[in-house]
Amino acid sequence: MGVSEVPKVFTPQTPIWCPGCGDFGVLAALKKALNDLEIPPHETILVGGIGCSGHIHNDLLVYGYHSLHGRLLPTAIGIKLANPRLTVIAAGGDGDGYAIGGNHFLHALRRNPSIVYLVMNNGTYGLTKGQPSPTAQIGFEGTKEIPFEPILTALSIRSTTFVARGFSGNQVQLQFVIKEAIQHANAGKGFAFLDVLSPCVTYNDTYAEWRKSTVDMNADKSFDPTNRALVFERVLNTLQEGKIPTGLLYKGESPSFESMQLKDPASPIATQDLTPAGKIEEFKKLIARYR
Amino acid sequence: MSSTQTTEVSEPRVVHLEDLKVMVGGQGGDGTLTVINLLSHALKQIGAYTYDTRNVLSRIRGGHADGVLRASVRPILSIGDGLDVLVAFDEEAVEVAREQLLDHAVVIYDNSHSQLKTVLKPTVKVYSAKFSEIAGLELKKTLLKNTVSFAVLCRALGLADQLAEEAINWRYARRGGDVLQSNLQALKIGFRLADQLGVKPSISFPKTEPKQGLIQITGDEAVGMGFIAGGGRFYAGYPITPASEILEYLQANLPKFNGVALQAEDEISAINMALGASLAGARAMVATSGPGQDLMTEGLGQAGMAEIPLVIVEVQRAGPSTGMPTKHEQSDVNHVVFAGHGDFPRLVVAPADASDCFYLTVDALNLAEKYQLPVFILMDQALGQNTQTVPEFDFSRVNIDRGKLLTQADLNRISVYKRYEFTEDGVSPRTIPGTPDGFFQVTGNEHNEWGFVSVDRTNRAKIMRKRMLKVEAAKKDMPRGHVYGDQDARVGFISYGSNLGPILEAMEQLGKQGVKTKFLLLRSIYPLLEEVQEFLESVNTAFVVESNLTGQLAGLIRREYGYADKIVRINKYDGSVFRPSDIVSQTLSQLPRNGGE
Repeated sequence: MGVSEVPKVFTPQTPIWCPGCGDFGVLAALKKALNDLEIPPHETILVGGIGCSGHIHNDLLVYGYHSLHGRLLPTAIGIKLANPRLTVIAAGGDGDGYAIGGNHFLHALRRNPSIVYLVMNNGTYGLTKGQPSPTAQIGFEGTKEIPFEPILTALSIRSTTFVARGFSGNQVQLQFVIKEAIQHANAGKGFAFLDVLSPCVTYNDTYAEWRKSTVDMNADKSFDPTNRALVFERVLNTLQEGKIPTGLLYKGESPSFESMQLKDPASPIATQDLTPAGKIEEFKKLIARYR
Repeated sequence: MSSTQTTEVSEPRVVHLEDLKVMVGGQGGDGTLTVINLLSHALKQIGAYTYDTRNVLSRIRGGHADGVLRASVRPILSIGDGLDVLVAFDEEAVEVAREQLLDHAVVIYDNSHSQLKTVLKPTVKVYSAKFSEIAGLELKKTLLKNTVSFAVLCRALGLADQLAEEAINWRYARRGGDVLQSNLQALKIGFRLADQLGVKPSISFPKTEPKQGLIQITGDEAVGMGFIAGGGRFYAGYPITPASEILEYLQANLPKFNGVALQAEDEISAINMALGASLAGARAMVATSGPGQDLMTEGLGQAGMAEIPLVIVEVQRAGPSTGMPTKHEQSDVNHVVFAGHGDFPRLVVAPADASDCFYLTVDALNLAEKYQLPVFILMDQALGQNTQTVPEFDFSRVNIDRGKLLTQADLNRISVYKRYEFTEDGVSPRTIPGTPDGFFQVTGNEHNEWGFVSVDRTNRAKIMRKRMLKVEAAKKDMPRGHVYGDQDARVGFISYGSNLGPILEAMEQLGKQGVKTKFLLLRSIYPLLEEVQEFLESVNTAFVVESNLTGQLAGLIRREYGYADKIVRINKYDGSVFRPSDIVSQTLSQLPRNGGE
């Protein structure tokens, strides 16, 4: 490995977010988690979405991809299947993930690929100046629609293996759930879904409200995150009390997508030797049935 | 036996054909394509080149369905004109085929449900029997009527019983004992019926040694094989007629080469999965048809803007919207050339037969990585789904060129790595994640050389030119077309895809009528190459032949080169392929008075 004295590659940028934006907290916790877990930066790819949150991949030294709006998950799944050795983190917004990308969210949960999906959830489309997103509270910008609850949706899909929620106003908890998510995915256990309450200080400043209403479910020792039915009930009850459940909410087991799709996950497609020379006899077998 | 009847024939007369056309028709689910498949295999064993086509409805069962098999002593890529034999499982099939039946035609009719009412030429010989009823009674499975009828068909064509039996073994051996045995039994019943009907060979096809080194394959399967040979290891698709066979082929075969072929939740997901896999270093492809390409257009622009290599196969069907899913058309030329907002680079290649499908898929994979852009393989329903006889693919001709893909060793030799570095040919070196010093930022936003979002005016103008420069640079590597026919002819055809076969046959017929022609078969649709201008310069009239209403290819050529006075359109858009006679008649009716001289 060549170590350069001067930077050989890009220098991470300074975030473009408004002062006080929740996404600063997410970036800080993510950096801390990657450092603490000693994840090699060159074996990490951060897939960003479109919107304010979709700048996050510019702000740390890992491989960065700025995906199409709503398409983080298919992209991240393609990357993971091509090279399961990589730490693949998809990090987007709530409009990106729960509105335009909603279909991909359901199928990612169903397929269970070993990637981290971190949603910076602020209930609004900040970059386009404050329209309500699917998670907007009733009354925000006049919306009458019942907010989408991604935690319940994730719990309802039978192959879901990891569900957590953090709050960018609670760094200790956020670092904990991000680390748990990365470890889950990197152990090949499947899809690590992490919803992070990340307030938009300009259009939907919910800091004070969320500080009051968030409940750390892990604080209650009777809360068993491996008991799906119990988790569903507790989460639902908490929501009905007007509170927001946070913490490591669910951990289950189900085969990972790459274990189903890849014949030999230890030998990544991305780094295969493609020269046909040694494979001619194998190719000829393909022809046999057409003779 | 009372269930059989034969028209009175004065005396046995055998018609010798070097070009045989057989239709098998009935309702969807009747197994018409099975009979075509069996006969195709049997005829190949006696040295025939075969070409077969399907005409089915977009439903699993019911509705008229037929298959046409053409066999010839020379290579063919068209269903030709006329029918020598018809196997009909119902009256509707006879009605559909009636006008095409030649004077010497033989009709094998299943009268289980009704006696034949359609009036046919008196010279046509008809054998009627209750195939379905007999199969139901004796084998407890009416569907086996197809194998029963196959036996009678083979007898009418004078094919040895053993040849028929071999075909059954070839098709059903893999399916296990019961299926094989019941089909062999059905064949025996069919031979017995043929004896009872007094079937005599009335049409014969020359028997020679089977030709070595030939295969019978569809264009879709050939694309799949080309993808594997060309180093393709990641495929994502969504079921769509007439491209699903590529998905099915790769799901069955790609895992053998440690690759992945998966079915996504929609085409939007499929193309983004492929973009992700390509970004990570895999050779990636998607395949679809017009409606799926609508959804993939978003990802197409991303591939162009972010400079991610990607191959997209577009097997055209009759549009617009859902259109006629199972029917042939070539009306997506504009779609693949112009789809997407903004200006971005792309390439479009167009194979003409199954062999070309194989080699151009390899080329497309190389072009995509060498120029880091989306490359379309533009096909059509007939090319994708019709089985053709072509020379075995030569795997030793496969060459893999991954372009400017940097390894860590390469990076050790340079001081700075910028993903979108400005270069002479517009192609910037790329890396794959996992490379220690290869960090990149890849984005669909406008960006600077580092891959950081930028709206700087100077950078914008420069990087737009950089990307588009790649189309010019790629011209030298784009597949050249072929010119067929009389070099001195002043009447020309320009076309692509499955029109190759019908045009070659039309040229032969026109030649017999004293009209000298030549033909430029295009294999690069975008960009068009200088060959088009050279060809247009060399003729007085250029007929652009394509299966659509508005003349999309003709429009593309006029847009690029002009020559409005020379370009004349030949179009067909009823959902069926061109027959040679369509091209002959449209040529003659539109030929200038002076015969194009």
